[in-house]
Amino acid sequence: MARLKLHDLQLARGGQTVLEHLDGRFQDGAVTALIGANGAGKSTLISAIMGMLTPVAGRVECAVPRERCAWLPQQLALDLTFPMSVEELIMSGTWPSHGAFKGYCGPHYRRGREIMARLGISHLAHRQLGELSGGQRQRALLGRTLMQEAELLLLDEPFANVDIETVEVLMEVLRDMAREGATLIVVLHDMEQLARLADDVLLLAGGHGRWVSPEALLEHHTGQATRAPRLPFDFPEDSHAGTA
Amino acid sequence: MLALLDAWFVAPFDYGFMQRALVAGLALSLAAPPLGVFLMLRGMSLIGDAMSHAILPGVALGFLFAGFSLPMMSLGGILSGLLVAVLAGSVSQMTGHREDSAMASFFLISLAAGVMMVSLGGSSVDLTHVLFGSILAVDSTALLLIAGIATLIVLALAVIFRALVVECLDPLFLRGQGVRGGLVHGVFLGLVVLNLTAGFQTLGTLMAVGLMMLPATTARFWSNRLEGLMVIAIGVALVASAGGLLLSYHLSLPSGPAIILLAGMAYVASALFGRQHSLSARFRRRAAPLNPSGPAS
Repeated sequence: MARLKLHDLQLARGGQTVLEHLDGRFQDGAVTALIGANGAGKSTLISAIMGMLTPVAGRVECAVPRERCAWLPQQLALDLTFPMSVEELIMSGTWPSHGAFKGYCGPHYRRGREIMARLGISHLAHRQLGELSGGQRQRALLGRTLMQEAELLLLDEPFANVDIETVEVLMEVLRDMAREGATLIVVLHDMEQLARLADDVLLLAGGHGRWVSPEALLEHHTGQATRAPRLPFDFPEDSHAGTA
Repeated sequence: MLALLDAWFVAPFDYGFMQRALVAGLALSLAAPPLGVFLMLRGMSLIGDAMSHAILPGVALGFLFAGFSLPMMSLGGILSGLLVAVLAGSVSQMTGHREDSAMASFFLISLAAGVMMVSLGGSSVDLTHVLFGSILAVDSTALLLIAGIATLIVLALAVIFRALVVECLDPLFLRGQGVRGGLVHGVFLGLVVLNLTAGFQTLGTLMAVGLMMLPATTARFWSNRLEGLMVIAIGVALVASAGGLLLSYHLSLPSGPAIILLAGMAYVASALFGRQHSLSARFRRRAAPLNPSGPAS
């Protein structure tokens, strides 16, 4: 099953085509890694999937309700000087059910506390976001998407500027979410993380996308375990996984 | 002693004009600082200033058509303020021009148009009144208008509060939830315009911004929490309003500047001695011993 499909998608930024003829489906209950060099169109594709960028041609077919789609942006995109506590951030994930007006009640706070415990940030509940480390903030942001009960989750380099322990916690939670049926799309640069997390890979290079299996990709890059391959990608045609 | 306190703090308010001025000042002090806190947190501290110029041509037009009628001048101010906000927003969205530069362009045009209109239609005394206001000349109609607008602002802010907070931190989250961030932003700017319009009669178009921003920037030196910022900012504004009025009464000072300068003194004192980010807080931190179990990095 795939609730998210791309149909001959063409995307542009500032009048310049970034990606074209992009087809394929993102499997439900799986983690798809989105890889490519800087400027290859990863963020552009994410914007299009989130409905924030209108395609020049083709379309994104998304059967997940809009309020269950979550985007974990790079931390730089957030105003972290804004005074908000970890608990408040996580509770804002109740937006799909509570909107702007409905008050939070006991069960929701309990759920918030469970999420914080799962992410190992219970002791930080009343800390301000600005006082946290990169890793702690990333856990809090993922907590918001858990509160949101996201069924489609897009993550833009979730492991950047994050400590090893946090990487482990985040990976575990992401794998759990996939097991529970969510569709996850993760922008990654690190091949080791890709090996551990991804079920499928969408590779963006030269304005095109190619679907490959993580195994084939890693096999081709034995000996370069920690860095993404140089792009344009020199991956041979015969090992194309072809999930498109 | 009691007689002295009475003479200083209570007796002035035996006069009707002082009572009305006090109520107007207190009403503004409840509505303006929370808006200022949000403007400051969004890095839009100077937008209030821009908006205050934007209401000027509307106030002038109201004055030209209806003479010194506060409701007409206020209505004109609200309309021109909203028009400038909408124009600046649309130009920035349609052209990719940054909103602050679009806002700067439009408010400069408005300011020139407003001054031109006031000069054509009245004397320089009128211009001074519009620019600097006179809280001691607040009559019952004006008071009702000010209190009404202040109430509306507090209620509207309560309604959009959660959306505004979420939008400030992560606008894309709200967009992802199908809420048009522009809507929340627009309503918020509308409230800023309303507040400035309520403030122009008492403090003038220019200094109405002071009661909005100075308490907010002062509060930043004392609290790191949103609720704390709001409560402290409102407290500073209340004290500055009442204190400024008393000072202006006893020392024959112009009331608007007295209020804003008092808030300004609170700001300077807080910048020097506040609990957070102030000069002395920096000094304290530098002198503090190393703490091995300190905050997690």
